[in-house]
Amino acid sequence: MSGVQLATPVRSAATVDIAVTGTALMHRYAPGRGLDPIDFQVAGPGVVAVTGRNGVGKSTLLRIVAGLLQPTGGRCDVVVGGVPRAPGARRTCVGYGAPELSFYDELTVAENLKFATEARGDAGAGAAAAAALAEVGLAGRERDRFAALSSGLKQRLRLAFAILFQPPVLVLDEPGSHLDDAGRELVARLLERQRERGLALVATNDEREVRLADQRIELRGRGVGDPA
Amino acid sequence: MILRGLLFAWIAAALAAGFLWAPIVPGLGPTTRVLYFHIPAAWITVVALAWSMLHSVLYLRRRRMDHDDHAAAAAELGLLFGIVATVSGSMWAKAVWHSYWNWDPRETSIFFLLLIYGAYLALRSSIENDERRARLSAAYSAVAFVTVPFLVFVVPRLYFSLHPDTVINARGKVDMDPRIQLAFLAMLVGFTGLFFWVLSLKVRLSRLERRRAERAAAW
Amino acid sequence: MPTSASSFAAAVWAILRKECRTEWRTRYGLNASLLFAITTLTSVSFAAGRLGDRADLLGALLWIVLLFASLASLHHGFVREVEGHTLTLLRLVASPAAIAVGKLLFNLAFLLVLELVTVPLFLVLMGAPPPAWGPFLAVLALGSLALASTSTLVGAIIAQTRGRAALFAGVSLPLLLPVVAAAVSGTRGQWQQGSIGSELKLLAGFTAAVLGASILLYDHLWND
Repeated sequence: MSGVQLATPVRSAATVDIAVTGTALMHRYAPGRGLDPIDFQVAGPGVVAVTGRNGVGKSTLLRIVAGLLQPTGGRCDVVVGGVPRAPGARRTCVGYGAPELSFYDELTVAENLKFATEARGDAGAGAAAAAALAEVGLAGRERDRFAALSSGLKQRLRLAFAILFQPPVLVLDEPGSHLDDAGRELVARLLERQRERGLALVATNDEREVRLADQRIELRGRGVGDPA
Repeated sequence: MILRGLLFAWIAAALAAGFLWAPIVPGLGPTTRVLYFHIPAAWITVVALAWSMLHSVLYLRRRRMDHDDHAAAAAELGLLFGIVATVSGSMWAKAVWHSYWNWDPRETSIFFLLLIYGAYLALRSSIENDERRARLSAAYSAVAFVTVPFLVFVVPRLYFSLHPDTVINARGKVDMDPRIQLAFLAMLVGFTGLFFWVLSLKVRLSRLERRRAERAAAW
Repeated sequence: MPTSASSFAAAVWAILRKECRTEWRTRYGLNASLLFAITTLTSVSFAAGRLGDRADLLGALLWIVLLFASLASLHHGFVREVEGHTLTLLRLVASPAAIAVGKLLFNLAFLLVLELVTVPLFLVLMGAPPPAWGPFLAVLALGSLALASTSTLVGAIIAQTRGRAALFAGVSLPLLLPVVAAAVSGTRGQWQQGSIGSELKLLAGFTAAVLGASILLYDHLWND
């Protein structure tokens, strides 16, 4: 994908015209592994559950939506505020959280988030980071190195990163993994809030998370193997 | 089938002409014969490189695995022909200049090309995922493409700096006897045909293997 | 709202600071590289002795030491991102071009630190004659820039393969030969009071070509 002009980040809550469309969208990692062709259209505001067996391509689909992966076939269009967003520019309007997202071991929790905000060039970096950390319950842990966190706390940091810029589109891959009950309530709260301000796509097999959704994409492909 | 037979007949005829009919270049003696396969091999090495790089760039723009097949097959053949050219050239150098390797401009250039081929193929063999392999090796090929011209400028310096008194390249091709020229050009054409024929076989093979793998995975 | 130019600069700066900070916290990269560079230099010095009158050999040996030091250390930038699984984070906060430039600047700084230690040591150990500082530093600067930009690009390519560090040296070497040849020639030239304009032009042209290729290629490197 070519590097396009960075779109200005959309912050306002009134981004109701959000749509994610897949047209014959498919991805092939290797023979027999990947995402089978799929057509779908989901629109915000709302919460979309992406479900299916292991290996069927849920994570792949989310990566494509987030602009991290260029599909080998078909296309995926994301429209925010009426403006289509090219894959190279999706990071300005998509908040992404997934198991494969990791942070710098040598940096502290606060430094990791500050790196993210500084790289985006946002003024008021500190405030956004602090707010996100407070939101996910990591308020007292700013000085802890990422390597020292438990898996549950790491997952909370991932959620903090995903909501950091209050994105119109929130893409979460198995957000409840490693989390205790309080953590799952946090996920439910975040999804509720996102339902009002924009669109959330959640890949999950957890019934509790599926129940939070009002739209659903069910993947039914071959799905053997891990898209690593 | 007919074309293949024709190709072999052509090369055989050209070789026969070169060895039996064309005269010997006075300065080179019996070693003249080397130019019938050494230079065509070197020529193909360069053609293969250009073909491979072209298809690498095409792959990056169009993302069709066909282009990756061509790039990889051309690189493998280029390496093979390159080795043939280097070895035959080295033996020729020993016969004429009494030294297997002189780092003269042409020798340096062919060595450099062999290194690039080697690096490209080593890179390919270290990636399993075929889409990633195609993409990364194509990227490498594109980088190599921009650096090759610089070597052309740099080689004379290298040559003069390390071996200021080496014999200058005595391959006086300017006045070739017309019979030599004819046999030589015929071999050039024959080698080119050989290269593209084997290339087409390799590409077809890759395509079939991929199709078989996909069908197997579908079960 | 940040403009795209200021976001680019902000991203590059943030990445550079992050690299320096993580490198400083662990320091194993810098320590290992310094040790490697000094070991290489010591071996060369042991083997060749003092070469005060051999400007041609001095130039060649200096750049061999620098080349080896680069091959041993400049791939860290990307390999560590891949091995630490932080590449996704990086891609989500910065454009491919910003990542490329940020990493390049870090590699350049890293190489400069190595050279600050290695080059004076080399001049002393090898008994080199005093260099013509202007031309000498010019060749050093442009050569380092060429080394760093090529290494950064190749590092990005091999980071996602299996061979990684081992592959890096073999895969970069063919591309770096013109750089080493020109740098050697230029270094020798400044000791022999010759003109080194063409070597400098070649190094500059090479760097420009590689940077141009990088900009076009970086988008393709991490589509996965």
